[in-house]
Order: sequence, then C-alpha cells, then structure tokens
Amino acid sequence: MSRSIRALAAAAAALFLVSACNSAADGTGNGKGAEPGAAVRGVTADAIRVGGIVSMTTASGYSKKDTDLGARARYLRANAEGGVNGRKIEYLGAEDDGQDPGRNMAAARKLVQQDKVFAVAPMSSVTFSGSAFLEQSKVPTFGWGTLPSFCGPEYLYGFNGCLVPMPGGTLNQTWPEGLLKVLGGGKGKTVALIANDSDAGKFGIRTFSQGFSTAGFKVTYAKPSVPATAVPSDWSAYTKDILRSNGGKAPDAVVSVMQTPNNIGLFTALKRSGYTGVLSDPTDYDPGLLAQEATRKALDGVHVLLQFQPFESDDPQMARFKADIRKAAGKDVPLNMHMMTGYMSADLFLAIAQKAGRGLTPESFQAAARTFSDTGTLVGDRSEPKGQRESFGCGALVQLRGGRYEVSVPFACHPPVPFK
Amino acid sequence: MADLPVFVLSGLVSGALYALLATGLVLSYSASGLFNFAHGATAYLCALAFHELRSGLGWPPVPAALAVVLVLAPGLGWALDRLMFRRLARVGETAQIVATIGLLVALPAAGLWAVELLAGLGAPVVPAENVFGLPGAGPSPAVSWRLPGGVGIDSDQLITWVATAVVAVALWVLMRHTRLGLQLRAAVDDRALTELRGISADRLSSAAWMLASGLAGLAGVLATPLLGLSAHDFTLFLFVSATAAALGRFVSVPVAFAAGLGLGVLQNLVAGYASFAERITGFRTAVPFLILFAGLLVLTRRQRTAGTAAADAPPADHLAGLPAVRRQGPWVVGAVLLGAAFYTVTTPFWSGVLAQGLALALVFMSFTVVTGLGAMVSLAQATFVTGAALVAGLLMGRGWPFVAAAAVGTCAAALLGALAALPALRLGGRSLALATLAMAFLADQVLFQIGPLRNGDLGWAVPRPVLGPLDLSDDRAFGVAMLLLTVVAAAGLSALRRSPAGRAMLAVRSAPAAAQASGVSVVRTKLLLFTVSAGLAGFGGVMYASFNTRITATDFTAMTGLIWLAVVVAAGVRRPQYAVVAALVFAAAPPLITRYATDSPHLPVLLFGLAGLALANDPDGYCAAVPQRRAARRRARAAHAAPAAAAPPEPGPPASAATPEPAGGGRDGVRETGAADPDGPPVPEAGRASPDGGRESGAGTDGASAAEAVREPVHGAPEPGAGRASPDGGRESGAGVGANRAGAAPEEPTGERRRSALELDGVWAGYDGGSVLRGVDLVVRSGQILALLGPNGAGKSTLCRVAAGALAADRGRVRLAGRDRTGDGPVARARGGVLLAPEGRGVFPGLGVAENLALHLPRPADREAVYERFPRLAERRDVPAGSLSGGEQQLLALAPLLHRPPAVLVADEPSLGLAPRIVEEVYGLLRELRAAGTALLLVEERAAEILGVADTVAYLADGRVAWCGPRSEVEEDRLTEAYLGVAAR
Repeated sequence: MSRSIRALAAAAAALFLVSACNSAADGTGNGKGAEPGAAVRGVTADAIRVGGIVSMTTASGYSKKDTDLGARARYLRANAEGGVNGRKIEYLGAEDDGQDPGRNMAAARKLVQQDKVFAVAPMSSVTFSGSAFLEQSKVPTFGWGTLPSFCGPEYLYGFNGCLVPMPGGTLNQTWPEGLLKVLGGGKGKTVALIANDSDAGKFGIRTFSQGFSTAGFKVTYAKPSVPATAVPSDWSAYTKDILRSNGGKAPDAVVSVMQTPNNIGLFTALKRSGYTGVLSDPTDYDPGLLAQEATRKALDGVHVLLQFQPFESDDPQMARFKADIRKAAGKDVPLNMHMMTGYMSADLFLAIAQKAGRGLTPESFQAAARTFSDTGTLVGDRSEPKGQRESFGCGALVQLRGGRYEVSVPFACHPPVPFK
Repeated sequence: MADLPVFVLSGLVSGALYALLATGLVLSYSASGLFNFAHGATAYLCALAFHELRSGLGWPPVPAALAVVLVLAPGLGWALDRLMFRRLARVGETAQIVATIGLLVALPAAGLWAVELLAGLGAPVVPAENVFGLPGAGPSPAVSWRLPGGVGIDSDQLITWVATAVVAVALWVLMRHTRLGLQLRAAVDDRALTELRGISADRLSSAAWMLASGLAGLAGVLATPLLGLSAHDFTLFLFVSATAAALGRFVSVPVAFAAGLGLGVLQNLVAGYASFAERITGFRTAVPFLILFAGLLVLTRRQRTAGTAAADAPPADHLAGLPAVRRQGPWVVGAVLLGAAFYTVTTPFWSGVLAQGLALALVFMSFTVVTGLGAMVSLAQATFVTGAALVAGLLMGRGWPFVAAAAVGTCAAALLGALAALPALRLGGRSLALATLAMAFLADQVLFQIGPLRNGDLGWAVPRPVLGPLDLSDDRAFGVAMLLLTVVAAAGLSALRRSPAGRAMLAVRSAPAAAQASGVSVVRTKLLLFTVSAGLAGFGGVMYASFNTRITATDFTAMTGLIWLAVVVAAGVRRPQYAVVAALVFAAAPPLITRYATDSPHLPVLLFGLAGLALANDPDGYCAAVPQRRAARRRARAAHAAPAAAAPPEPGPPASAATPEPAGGGRDGVRETGAADPDGPPVPEAGRASPDGGRESGAGTDGASAAEAVREPVHGAPEPGAGRASPDGGRESGAGVGANRAGAAPEEPTGERRRSALELDGVWAGYDGGSVLRGVDLVVRSGQILALLGPNGAGKSTLCRVAAGALAADRGRVRLAGRDRTGDGPVARARGGVLLAPEGRGVFPGLGVAENLALHLPRPADREAVYERFPRLAERRDVPAGSLSGGEQQLLALAPLLHRPPAVLVADEPSLGLAPRIVEEVYGLLRELRAAGTALLLVEERAAEILGVADTVAYLADGRVAWCGPRSEVEEDRLTEAYLGVAAR
C-alpha cells in the first residue's frame, strides 16, 4: 500500500467518523423542515409559494410548455379573487425538465430545498423521477396523472385522477362507451387496437383490450407492433394486417394508442388503402395541429378522446377558462390540452387548499384532501383519495371535420369497470 | 408474398435517407478521419431551417429547399470544418468521438436558441415544438397515386427517390470523373501521402465537409414530412445509417449508398414478416440496432484490436518526478474539504447536488477503466447502470437487504459488461463505440422492456441504506458515504493501474500482438477491463438510484451514456480523480448556470457541446490540461531564458504565437503555441533559439526570407559562419562536422558549382519533446544524388520528414533553392518542389494505376507517355495499385516524376524489400531524374548498392551528420564508424 493510499484512507476514516457521529446525533433525516416552531415551508401570513415542473424544451420536438400558462392563468384569477383564505398564491413559474429524469429530480429538489415551495402544481412531463423526493418531503404535487407515480403516493394528485390502471383497480370506460355511441351502439362492433412496440405499449393494449371487450366490442387486432423510436416511413405492413383482421375484412373502428407523428402516418395510410371506418386516438386534440395542411388532412374525421370538457363546449366554466387564458397570455392564443392540464392542476390544488382553511400545513392539507370532493368541474366530478387510485372516469370525444373540432360525444362520466 | 413489392418499394424511402446520411458520413470520415455523431443533428438543423423558411418566412418549397441544401448546409459544414473538424483530425479517436457527441447536442440547441432569439427580435419565425405533418419540398398534403398491384406512392416518396437518384449519379460523376473526386479518394486512401503530393488536406477537408453537410441537408429536407422536427429521431436515424457506413467500411461511397438503400428495405421486410418476434417486446423497435450490431461484428475488417492506442498516445506525465504528497496532496485536501463542507457550509440543496455528483462519480470512474486504461470507447455504460439498479431494486422489492441487493446488482452489471466485451475482442475504435451503442439501444428496447425486470413505468423503490447507526437518508451522511466510496474506488483504480493486471491492460492497449507474445491473454484482459468497468458503473448506478430512492427503466438511456462519456472525456479520462471532477461539474453546473448566468435552457446545452471544441486543443481534457500547460509554460520559460541572453535580438518581434499555423503545426504545435500564449511577451530572439521562435520566424515575414536570399548567393558561394556539412566542408574536416570549418570552399567534386536545391541548416527536430535530429546541416544540389546513410534510429526518416515538411523543425532552417521554407507544411513544401517518397511505397493502394498517375500528371498525354515508356504499367492501368508487386509500385511512384521532374526528391529507402534486379531498375530511374536536374536525397540502410549511384555521401549518427563527402572518399572504416556511431562527435 503506497503512501498516497494510506493518506487517503486516513482522511476517509476521519470523514466516516464525523458523518457517523453527526447522523447519529441528528437522526431526524433529510435535514429539511420540521424544526420545532418554525414556519411551514412556503407559507407566510399572506402568501403561499407554489412551483411547477414542465417539459418545455425537448429533443423530440414535443413540448408541454403551455402547461405553465394554464397554471398561471388559474392562479391569476385566484389572486384576483382574493387568494386562498387570505393568502395570495406566489407562483414561481415552472422549471423546465427537458424530459430528462435527472433534470426532473433536480427541479424537484430545487423547488423544495432552495425555493422552499409549499406545493408543486403543475407537474407535467413524460418522466417523474422527482416523485419520491416530493413525497418524502411532503410536498403536495398536482399534475397530469399519465405516470404511475400519481397513483398511490399520498402527496401526489392527478388533476383528473390517476390515469394508469392498476391491477385490482378500475378502468375508465369513456373511450369504449363513447366510440360505441359514435358507431350507433349495438352488439358485435369490431375494433382494432394498435400501439408502440414497448412495455408501455403492451400495457396499453392490455388495458384497452379489456375495456373495449367489456363494453361489448369484438377486438380483432390488438398488437403493440409499431417501432417505438423512429416513426416508420412505411405503414403497409401494419395497415395490411389491420384491414384483414376482421375475418379478411376491415374492423368497424381502428384505435391508435400512439403519439401524433405515428397517428398521422397510420391514419394517412389507412385512408389511402380505402378504409372508411371510425378512427380514434387519445392524443390529437390540439388546435395547433391544424396549422399544417397535411396534419389537418391526415386527422380529418378522427375521433379524439379527451378527459376534460372540450373547448367547443358552451359550459360557463369553459368561457371563464378561455377568458383566464387570454388574460394571462395577454392576447388570443390557440388553446391546447396542456393549458387545461396546468389550469386544472392549479384548480385542484386551490380547491383543496381552500378546504384546508387558514392553518395551512402539509398535514392540514392532506387531512382536507382525504375528504375532498366536488362536482361539475371541467374534469367532471372530483373526489380524493379516490383520484389517487383511479381516473375520475369522465371524458368526451371530439371529431375533426373540415378543419374544426366538433363534439361527437359530449362530456360525461362513466362508471369504471374493474381491471383484471 | 404479394406484399413483397410494396414492402421493397416503400422501404426504399427510408433507405434513400439512410443512403444520403451514410454517404455523408463516409465522405466526412474520409476527409478528416472522424466519425461524425453529429451528422443527424446537422440534418435536423437543416430541417429546422427549412421549416422556418417555408412556414415562418413563407418561401415557396423549392427555393427554400435549394437554399438549405446548396447554401446553408454547405456553409455549416465549412464553418464546422474550419472551427473544429480540421483540428480534431489531429487528435486521438476518443477525443474525436466525444467532440462530435458534444456537437450532437449543441447543434439542435443552437438552432432552437436562434429561433428563440429571432422570435424575440420580432422575426416572423414559427415555433419548432409540437409541429407535425410538416410540408416537404413537394406539395402539402402529399399527392398520392395508386399503382397497379395495390402499390401506393405519394409525392414526398417520389421526390425522395428522384432526389436520391440524382445525387447518386452526381456523386458518381464527382468521385470518378473529376479531379476533386480523385483527390478525395486519394485522401481516403492515404491522407499523409496526399499532403506530401502537394494536395492540401485542409482544402479537401473543407470540400468534403461541405459536401457531407449538403447531403445531410438534403436528407433533412426530405425527411421533414416523415420525422418532423425531432432532433432525437434524426439522431436515431443517423445511427441506423451508421450501419450502412460501417458496411462500406467508412471508405466506400458506393457500398455505403447501396447498403443504406438495402437497410431500408430490410427493415421494412422485417416489420412486415417478423411475426415470429411478436412475443418479444421491443424486437421490431430494435431491428435497426440488431442490424447495426451484426453488421459491425460480421463485416468490419479486423483492424487494430485494442482501442486506438496509436492515435491516443498518452501525454507526458509532468508530475512524474514529484513525491506522492505533491501528487496526491491537492486531491486529499479537496476530499477532506468537501467532506467537511457537508456539515458546515452547504445548504440542503447543495448537499443534495454534491451527494448526487459523488454518486455519479462512481459511474464516471467506470470510464476511467474502460476508456482511460483500456483505450476502448464504450457507449453502453448507462446500460450497466440501469441493469444493476433494476436488479437491485427488484431484489429489494422482495425484501433483500441493501448490501446484498447492491452486490447482486453489481454482479449483474459485470455480467452485462462481459457480454459487451465480446465485440471488443474483434472491434476497436469507432466500430467498437458504435457496437456498444447498438448494444445499449438493444438493452433499452428489448432487455429493459421485460415486464418483471422493469415493473412498468413505476420501476422499483431503492431505499437509502441504513447501516447500524448510520442512516444515509440524510443527504449529508449520504454525501460523505459517497465521498468515502469514491476515495476508495479512486485508490483502488490507481492500485489496479500499477498492478500486474493493470500493466497487462496497458500492454494490450498499446500493442495487443506484442502483449500476446509476452504471455498476456488479450481475451482475459479485455474481459477484465469490461467487467470491472461495468461492475463499477453498476455499483455507482445502485448508489445513484438510492440517492433518488427509485429506479425506472427510462432513467438512464443509451443517449444518457453518450452524454456521460462526453462529460468525462472533456474533463480527462486517464485518472479517476478527473472523473470525480467531471461528475461534480456535471451535477453542479446546471444550477449554477441558471442561478448566475442565464435562464435560457438552450445556452447550457450549447456550452456543453462547445466543450468539444476545447478538446480539439486539449485532447486529454481540461483537468489534464492544467499540469500540462503549467509544464509547457515552465519549459517555454526555461527555453526562452537560456538563449535570450546569448542571442542578439532579431529586429521586429515575431508574429503572435497564438495563431496556429495553417497547416504545418501538428498536434504538438497547436498545443504548444496555445500554451505559450498566456505566458506573456515572447522574447525576441534568433530563430534557432527555441521551438516556438524557430517556427515563428520561419513562418516568417517576407523581409526575413529576403534577407536569407541575399545571404545566399545564387551559385552557392561559401557562407560565413554557417556551420554546414556540405560535401566540400566534409572533405576538409575529415570525420569532423562542418562546424569545424569556416568559409573554406575548395572545388566541387564535379568541378562545377551547382545550385543548392535543398538545404538544412542546424536543424533540430523530434517528437513530443525528445530530439531526434540535433543540429543537422546538409545541402543537396540540383542534379546530384546525396546518399544519406546511417544505422537504425539515427534519424534518417525523421530527416526526410523534416525535409518534406511533414514534421516541423524545432530549430534551424530549411531552405529550398535558397529561400527559407522552414515554416511551410508538407503541402506548401510539395508545391515548392519537394517530393517525399516515404518509406514503403509512395502510391495510393486503393486507387488504380491510371488514377495514381493522374494525381501527378493531370494531362492524359503525359500519362500516355508514361505507358509507352513502361508497358507493364499500361497493361495494368485499371488494377488497384495495392495489388501490384513491390517493384511495380515503386516504378509507379517514380515513373510520373520523369515527366515532370520535381526540384527535390527525397526517397526514404526506395530499395526496401525489392529484388536486386528491380533495385537496379529503380536506381536507373533515379539516375534519370538526376540527369533531368532533380536534386535527390536518398536514404538507405544498405550502403553497398547506393554507393554505386550517389555523388555525395553523408553519414547520419546520433542525430547529426557525422561525415559528408564525395563518394570517392568514402572509406570502409568510415562507413563502419558511422554505422557503429563511434565517430558521432
């Protein structure tokens, strides 16, 4: 053993002792919050500090940055109405996690440890590696429940519930029931389901196969077969199988559980092959997509699932949502679902915080959440902690026709079915 | 089977894009020898520009496409070449790979930032996010046609095919029927020789990069409707194209082009028919990477097996002489301070950042093993991290204790590492890097898609360990524990390096064949390298996951591994401590930048990418650059101090030392001039005083050269004071060197004074600080043959390289026809009339006989004359020169010279390996050249034959000319003395 190694070892041993003593003496863990008598993190006499985490810049060209605008709009209104129990919301704006798990984690730590926020709302990303930290730090967090982290942990809430069905949990039946209405109801309708070739795609196929079967559909094709990385340049291999799946004929409906670029390719190919049945997907409700002629044509006639009131609805809350967004943006902007995500994440947080009363602490907030419920919001009837296990079960279908979205199945709530 | 034509036809669409990208890869690789990972990013940038021109500024499609493909893309290629690639061509392969990885993330960020800035300035740009179904160069939406047989095609596909076909034809014409194409192919074949033939590699490099970028631009424009604006998708597309480039062995444009087309079809066929694989989740996604992996493994020519040792020569260890305390002291102090900081100054946030950085340091140290010690670039480290953490999480989920689960996870990673070592047994360099990248993607898309291992998107909880009284759920305690582990790992790696196993690794790294001959098992050593590295990465991964308290399968992807490598190599990969610095910087830089510098998310990415540029200057990383630069400064100071006192200052200070020379300065030169720069004012001095000085004044002002010319009368009258060993001088002083004589000028052996064509005056030269030539004085006159003899290692080949400008002289002067040409690189030297026929054969083996001739003789009539004179060459005009016999190759190298005799021919062992009869023929040609007025400097080890043709003979021993005189005075004893080096002084 050389001298240098000995020196290093001695230094290391000393450090080890220091840390052992210190952590034994300290023992409380994490060194954050919990000092006796200290103020609640992020809550002062007249303000509640809130942060957000959103994928804004990404390598894939997919951005959720308008989530931030939606949340800002909702908080602006809350503050204009006098705040929550006398406290204004101090919204710090959203951190950009760039769809990177490392940055998601860093953003969560920064918001809690450096900015000392009381809550995180919204959190909308494709990754949520900061979830465990937020949960441990008792930070109420509100976001888009497409990730399993929103299902189960105490402090994390999906704005329209947990959208990842858990074995033993339930399935949201909005989509099958809605499509059944589009097809004119009746038994024996056929549907083809297609997803990406990945574990997530496989899981989607599994849940939707069950959901559509339960609703009375005959599932003729259910494959996670489309390469998950680059978009295929050629769809003939997939359309061929789908169009022959119903005993050599085409099924009544084709449902894609994929992202927009894949949907554009698939639907275009199906139409070129002469398919005239119903097309549906859950992602393409974005008026911004209509800017491109090719997208407009590819998605024309497609029924898109959404789990909130469509922008086309004449609900007064929708009018208020639009007004709030316009005010926050300072001008008219095309609406999209990310704005709704941010807006309703903030809304759920505000509603529970309102219920928690003036003595706001993470504990009082959680206590309020445990008995929280309201009805008739833009995402339907909300109730916690049910929403931490399953979706609120509401949704609508809109159809793109001639460059405009039209409500094809109005917003409604459907009883969920058990997920096996 | 009725679908077959459909699958083939539509497969040709992505195939065409692969072909375009692969061709660009091959072209840029040929021009500068580096594999451009950022090629896909270039295509993305062009697609983005096209989108903005088209949708933002409202340009019509065709002008927008032409502007991107013909102006913007080549401009980008030209700029990148000037800024970066040209210099990168001279550093090791690891630095090259990493620099382009940096660019891979920086280019898209630069593009998006530019859009952001333009939008801020009120330009009519449109956002680049969430845009799909973008218009291409054709009508939008695309017009589609239905052909008989159920085949449907649309206008975008048609445009892709037509454009690709046009490009294929144009490329063929360019490469086969233009001078530029010939030169490009020559550069692929032998870059150094191209320069020695007076063809500027820099100019070729620019041309090739512009061409390659143009192709990437075309691919970007054509792919816009398909891929949209996803930088990620473009990069994945590029990796698939790399398969095609690999099939073309990175040198053959036609093969790469065809392979690209084939790849698209193959991929489509697998998608259409591989129903057998439906049970394997991710198989279809992984098809391109399976092909890449298999293609590399099966078809890559076996080259240097271990890494890239030849290119990655380690830098001198400037701290070698220092005691251990001085060497390790700063690190130990740093570690103690860091540990103390956790409990004194850092806030919880910064404790977390540092703890995370230290956990990552364990992962980063795995690069020190495989890349630093083994000289193999592994892009699969993230796979080991994910694998180990998932396994550990899985076990902890079943109630295993932390330590046991971490141990099993580490072993699982080591096992994966052993698997990754398999391609390394066959591949090296960029092929190995690509193979490990393919493995990483395969793992992401197949292995980590296995449900029970992955546990969906939820992943596994990896709680922080609690060891007795030590609860690591406190970030500070965790940080200190990581610090300890880091210190232990660093010490362990240092010990490993010094152990017999470590020596075996170094041996395998630098010379696998020799290592094998000395009883070192190459297989075992490489397996060991990969398993240790993967185990360390896996262990670090478990720790990192436990810092996060959760692991999901998507936390560390193949792309993450790419970024990590870039971060580590930018800091330095040769010592474990550098990896720790890299990890801490990686963890701490983003919050620091957002806090103190900028809110723009693009700028940090851009900065990170530009770190690649710094690698071009300091290929060993910024950590290693500190001692190196300090040592260089000390050396420079010492060198300046000594002669500055002695030599009278030259009028006019030398030109700025910071400006790198256009062509001549090698890697060493660049580094040294850069290093000397901050050192304050250069001391004005006589040219020969210091390396820098010598080069500078050589690069010289016209005034200086003019002065030289005046000093040297046209007919070579004796010069005062210049200690040179010319034939006459040699005779005077006998065995002594020219320094003994001053101005004595007896008659020439031939009785007639001739022009001095090449003149070396007090030349010192060497490699990496060691001098091989130490004050060589030599004159070769027109129409003379000077034979340079000397034992092995005397410096003969070095002298040839200095004469040809391939190696810069540290001191002294090189003159051509009396003009000072010391500062010229090989290209300028060749254009000045010096031709070097290097050791071996001076022909391009991959080019045909006719093409080899055409490089020197552009006029067909001249070539015909050569054929008339040498019917043997005429018979084989279309045969690749590499398949000629040794004698024929030497004839091919010399024959064209007869038609355009150079002023000076430097031939390094022209008779090496030739039969005596052929040697006679070769010497005959050399005599003809002499008669044509060429000055010949012939280097030979075999003295007997050469004495028959030489007019003058010089002995080189110990880096100096030991004797120089007419052939008639060569005596046997003197020969012996010279060879034994006895008379060196």
